[in-house]
Amino acid sequence: MNFAIRYLTEYDYDADVVDNLNALRVKPHSNGRQRVDEFSVRLTPEVRLHRHSDYFGTEVVEFEVSRPHRHLTIDVRARVSTKESIEPPHSTWESLTDPGYREAGGEFLLQTDDAPGDTRLRELLTTTGAASTPLATVMLVSELIPDHFEYRQGATYVDSDIADLLEAGAGVCQDFVHLGLCLLRHHGIAARYVSGYLFAGGSDDGHESIEVDTHAWLEALLPVGGPDQVSEPVWVGADPTNRVLAGETHVKIGHGRHYADVPPIKGVYRGAATAKLDASVTMTRLERTDPASIARS
Amino acid sequence: MTNLQSETLPPIGDGYTIPAGSRDELLDDAGRPLPHARPLMAALARLGPDALDAAGKRRDAIFMQQGITFEVAGSDGEQRDRAWPLDLVPRVLTSAEWTTIKRGLAQRIRALNAFVDDVYHAHEIVRAGIVPWSLIVSRPSFARPVHGVRAPGGVYCHVCGCDLVRDGGGTWCVLEDNVRTPSGISYVLENRVAMTRLVPELFAGHRVRGVEHYPSLLLDALRSVAPAAESHPTVVLWTPGAMNSAYFEHAFLARQMGVELVEPTDLVVRDAVCYMRTTAGLQRVHTIYRRLDDDFIDPLEFRPDSLLGVPGLVRAYRAGTVAIANAIGTGVADDKAIYCFVPDMIRFYLAEEPILENVPTYLLSDERARKHVLARLDQVVVKPTSESGGKGVFIGPHAGPAERELQARLIEHDPSQFIAQELVHLSTAPTETGGGQLAPRHVDLRPFAVFGEEIRIVPGGLTRVALREGSMIVNSSQGGGSKDTWVLDDGDAVDPAPGTLPAQRPPRLPDVRYGGGWHSQSQQQQQVKSADADSIGRSPGGRAPGGDADPSAPG
Amino acid sequence: MLARIAQELFWLGRDLTRAEHTARILDGAFHADVTGVPGERGITLSWEGVLATIGAKPPAPGEEESAVPAVSPGRIEVARLLTLDTDSPASVVSCVARARERGRTMRDVISTEMWEALNSFYLLLGRYDLQAALQTGPYSFYHEVKERCALFWGLLDRTLLRDEGRAFLEAGGRIEEADMVLRMLRVAIPSSLEEDPSAHETEALALLHAIGGFQAYRRAVRHAPTVAPVVRFLLYDSAYPGSVASSVDALAAALTAADAQPRSSAPVLRLGRLSADLELQRRAPDAGGALQEVLERVQDELEQVDRDIDSRYFAIAALSAVHL
Repeated sequence: MNFAIRYLTEYDYDADVVDNLNALRVKPHSNGRQRVDEFSVRLTPEVRLHRHSDYFGTEVVEFEVSRPHRHLTIDVRARVSTKESIEPPHSTWESLTDPGYREAGGEFLLQTDDAPGDTRLRELLTTTGAASTPLATVMLVSELIPDHFEYRQGATYVDSDIADLLEAGAGVCQDFVHLGLCLLRHHGIAARYVSGYLFAGGSDDGHESIEVDTHAWLEALLPVGGPDQVSEPVWVGADPTNRVLAGETHVKIGHGRHYADVPPIKGVYRGAATAKLDASVTMTRLERTDPASIARS
Repeated sequence: MTNLQSETLPPIGDGYTIPAGSRDELLDDAGRPLPHARPLMAALARLGPDALDAAGKRRDAIFMQQGITFEVAGSDGEQRDRAWPLDLVPRVLTSAEWTTIKRGLAQRIRALNAFVDDVYHAHEIVRAGIVPWSLIVSRPSFARPVHGVRAPGGVYCHVCGCDLVRDGGGTWCVLEDNVRTPSGISYVLENRVAMTRLVPELFAGHRVRGVEHYPSLLLDALRSVAPAAESHPTVVLWTPGAMNSAYFEHAFLARQMGVELVEPTDLVVRDAVCYMRTTAGLQRVHTIYRRLDDDFIDPLEFRPDSLLGVPGLVRAYRAGTVAIANAIGTGVADDKAIYCFVPDMIRFYLAEEPILENVPTYLLSDERARKHVLARLDQVVVKPTSESGGKGVFIGPHAGPAERELQARLIEHDPSQFIAQELVHLSTAPTETGGGQLAPRHVDLRPFAVFGEEIRIVPGGLTRVALREGSMIVNSSQGGGSKDTWVLDDGDAVDPAPGTLPAQRPPRLPDVRYGGGWHSQSQQQQQVKSADADSIGRSPGGRAPGGDADPSAPG
Repeated sequence: MLARIAQELFWLGRDLTRAEHTARILDGAFHADVTGVPGERGITLSWEGVLATIGAKPPAPGEEESAVPAVSPGRIEVARLLTLDTDSPASVVSCVARARERGRTMRDVISTEMWEALNSFYLLLGRYDLQAALQTGPYSFYHEVKERCALFWGLLDRTLLRDEGRAFLEAGGRIEEADMVLRMLRVAIPSSLEEDPSAHETEALALLHAIGGFQAYRRAVRHAPTVAPVVRFLLYDSAYPGSVASSVDALAAALTAADAQPRSSAPVLRLGRLSADLELQRRAPDAGGALQEVLERVQDELEQVDRDIDSRYFAIAALSAVHL
């Protein structure tokens, strides 16, 4: 599928601010299933951009507005084409103990956020651990979480952890992913947080624009075949907000251990002002394709 | 201890009993001074307990007046300023022994530096199967934002302070490495100055190597790592602020080096270049000696809630326009779980055998080691891997059953958070324990190294002493004190005539004049009178200060 | 003002400054002696050197006996001789006693606060137990001397009318300061300066600490504190109040203020030339080996200035005194 993405962020400050520094992680990733044809960041006021690739391979665009200003617009545009995901491998639980798998999993096997002793978490662990294969567990995780937790904005905050989700019983995609990561890692499955854009259009008409949000899902590392096989394990995307595996409507920006490794916009400024934020993501399908796995946000 | 002779020295007191398993730095098992400590012990005997006690009182007064203090939490939880606890009995190291320590430290620091470079670049030690990658990435101090960033000059660990101890067999071991922001060097320098002022007579008979050149070494190193061909690089010292417990040291070093002591609001990054705000506008900064943790350096990259940080600093660092000492991410090398691998690092990176040993250490994430340790909790020391300053340290032999059980549960709950070490019987040194009396107290040693173009180590370092009897916790935050550390010049060579320095013949100077000629006579009369009147008992003008008494005076 | 009074004020300033600098030298030498490793060609603050600086020479073969008792220059002996020995005119206590005597005869000229500061300083020294001071380290004693001197000059600044008398008092202080620093430098630095940048730092530091300019040096100079840059700083840097150049300028300013016709004053003119010469030398490329010669030349000039001051302002007083 081909998409045009426009991510527009506007800050209004009620007094002058200076030294406004920001780091953007908004550029779609380039990989075998996804190609970036165009990408631009335009700023008002206009300043120089600095780009680098971070530890996890996400492209970071940084800039600073040092002079006094009351308004900042960040206008990000991208054109991306995506392909359908490959068929996920059906591997055995035993293959997870293979040293090659452990090495490939690396730090994504390590818990970053846990809620030991929580009974709800323990129940979820028992249920999801009973699945026949790691892939079945991944799918179960993405179905059980939205079953158990209500998707509700405002129930949690940007820096909430899974204990907050478990207590509130509700959260947003970011919280669902954090919980999913915790469950999968408990089962010895390497899993990582993915930040991106999700085209959640309900129709297959071409040139359709819809307002979306930045989205989050997860990727689990699954061995290919049994323990004797030597092929590289593969990352399989799963969306615990929408009960699906990630497909061609999922446009990935980057991944990390958790949200804090790939926040779309992170910034600080100096000044005694409060900021009013207005952000919108518009995704437009550029041409007609066959109906794909259609998800809702 | 009043009848000491220089040759046959009796034990310094009946009460001086070296704890079993430990050895003493200055005395042999029979309580006789070791050869290198004889002049010192003789001088202490000549001084006597009363004078030592009196000097201690003057010390506290001087330290309070100069503001050489540190904060301790009182029993009511209030923070209080206390005079820096300097024990007036120095610790003495021979030159030969110091040479070994120095070489061992330099070797260790080179290896740690190579490790930091490797961790953020090639990962060779991981691929060689020596250090597991999962261990490295699970360290909280593993700094992802600087992965792939090479520090200027390839130096990361510019300032290091390793904690050394001497075990019961007399072997030097490294207990902990410290390559983040080790503190204590200011006390090394202040201790030495205080010692020369308070008990100068103790120095008689020893030639002690100087330490006062440390700030110059540090400044040279900081300038040498400045980026680009900058002939006059600007160095600043970054303090988290006056509320920091080591602020005294920050101000001390800034003053001694003549560099600006900056706080976060003084620094700003523009277009990937770091500046400080001055009255003359922005001034480029080339090297930042920072005295705060990675977490607080840059809110854009690390903790977003940090108010201490300089936004964009990591970007400037990445662009190579500013050097940061110590480099960001060095904490991965002094993590207590990584410590176990340092001897292997030395072999791997330097192809050398370690000169200084490690204390036998167990990684508790390893199941076999954990079982072994849990069965012997009453004999080992358990430390949290990511704490410092003696926080959370569990000492088996000193713990009761309840504490042991609690510790066992903590380990079982998250074994990767702990390491266990065999208990080292720290050496002791004679320490003043009140009223000028000496008793053995356990000591360690933290030497300070500076790594710029090469590794330089000031002779000695900070000797920390556990002031409580039998205690092995030397941290000043937990009742520890300090000692001046003497490294002798040329072994135990004794200067037979203290107080005479060989000197060249001074040049001929003009004669010193004393006032007008006629006046000195009348002054003489007046002074004799006034001396009586003021009943000073001595006549300040008894000998005519000018006129005929001084052939050089005019008139 | 009366020539006699002017001369007394001038010498009061000199005596007090000499006391302060003697204390500084002793403190520095004491510290260097206790801690220092003597360098072969470095800066030396030996006890012999200290005696030479203050003009209390130990007897040498062929020399006639001086006013100073023969001592072997050891720490204790020198410290005693130059600190609290009332029989030695060079001792700190003798300097203070002389200054206090001069102050006592001029209580109408100096302010009451200044007199009291002088007097209590003198009385304090009388109470000092020398033996104890040496036993416990004379640091606190020297510290006290420096503080008391600073108190006197601070009170002068706050309380004394800016008139001729004040100018002579200040002139005395500044000429003595320049002289003492020059003496210290001449004695301390090696006769041939083959500068090895890493050498002699310890000794140069001791010298800086003695004169009290360490912190100022660190802020003003980029070089590590080795011999040549330290000497150049103490000699030329007019931004540092304790430098020879500063003292020369301050001395010239004081005499200019005191003199009704400074343009025809020999000492003022000579000081003007000296100041210009120092500035010229400061700008000259580092002539390491020549520093000793520069020091000697500057000191010779100051001696000449001293004689000029005597003959221009005090000659009448001295003459009448001889005839008394």
